[in-house]
Amino acid sequence: FRFKDSLAEDLRRADLVISHAGAGSCLETLEKGKPLIVVINEKLMNNHQLELAKQLHRDGHVLCSNCSTLVETLQSMDLSTLKPFPPGQPEKFALFLDKVVGFQ
Amino acid sequence: VLARRRRGRRTPPLSLLVVAGSGGHTTEILRLLSCLSESYSPRHYVFADSDKMSEAKIHSFEQKRAETFPSSQFTLDRIPRSREVRQSWTSSVITTLYSILYSLPLTYKLKPDLILCNGPGTCVPVCVSALLLGLLGIKRAIIVYVESICRVETLSLSGKILYYFSDYFIVQWPDLKEKYPKSIYLGRIV
Repeated sequence: FRFKDSLAEDLRRADLVISHAGAGSCLETLEKGKPLIVVINEKLMNNHQLELAKQLHRDGHVLCSNCSTLVETLQSMDLSTLKPFPPGQPEKFALFLDKVVGFQ
Repeated sequence: VLARRRRGRRTPPLSLLVVAGSGGHTTEILRLLSCLSESYSPRHYVFADSDKMSEAKIHSFEQKRAETFPSSQFTLDRIPRSREVRQSWTSSVITTLYSILYSLPLTYKLKPDLILCNGPGTCVPVCVSALLLGLLGIKRAIIVYVESICRVETLSLSGKILYYFSDYFIVQWPDLKEKYPKSIYLGRIV
């Protein structure tokens, strides 16, 4: 498929997700609690995509591979090592803003 | 020197200018807005004129919001894109200047109390025009910048500029808080 409005339904039904390192793709997948393998192509990627993918990997939320090691990763992966990804907290931002503008 | 803090209480409502960038930026900024009370109204969304997806996302967000807050108000405005991805330095300066000139009448018209942005190139001219309005004594807006969650170790170009010109500069990863001590770290907020 080309461009769907939302992958939410596909994500819901998936058992495993393999994705590029775009922030939206990674976060949407992790928030749905799906195991994720991020495929990194350092030649193509923007610096900032790599930063987030590396951090998520360091924190144990995703598995990483590159194009050539993907098959090997799939064969040897242990998805139980992946840690759940806690959701972000926009309410903290709201509280912060209320405080600094002087609403109490 | 330019980052002055204004203490004291404000009374609601506070009008908000939200700079919505392309793709992920818009999604992130809408999440930031999701827990704000009705005191932040009206919401004026500003985005680059080449951005098609943001408009749809914003409408969807505001429609949903109107279910809980029926008297919700929002507006949409477009400005010329100040810089394409990987555009050269010299041409970026020219297009950014053009965008600042274009943003000035818009910020003057909207006169927001608070400006919220999270990184797209569009936010620099908007914030600069707001700063000019402040310097001219016309309207002093509070500028709140939230760096994207993608930025773990380095700031975006907009972030590097607005670190010095925003009132509140928020980062979402502890590494950045260390590197940029004047920033505020609230954890992950999107």
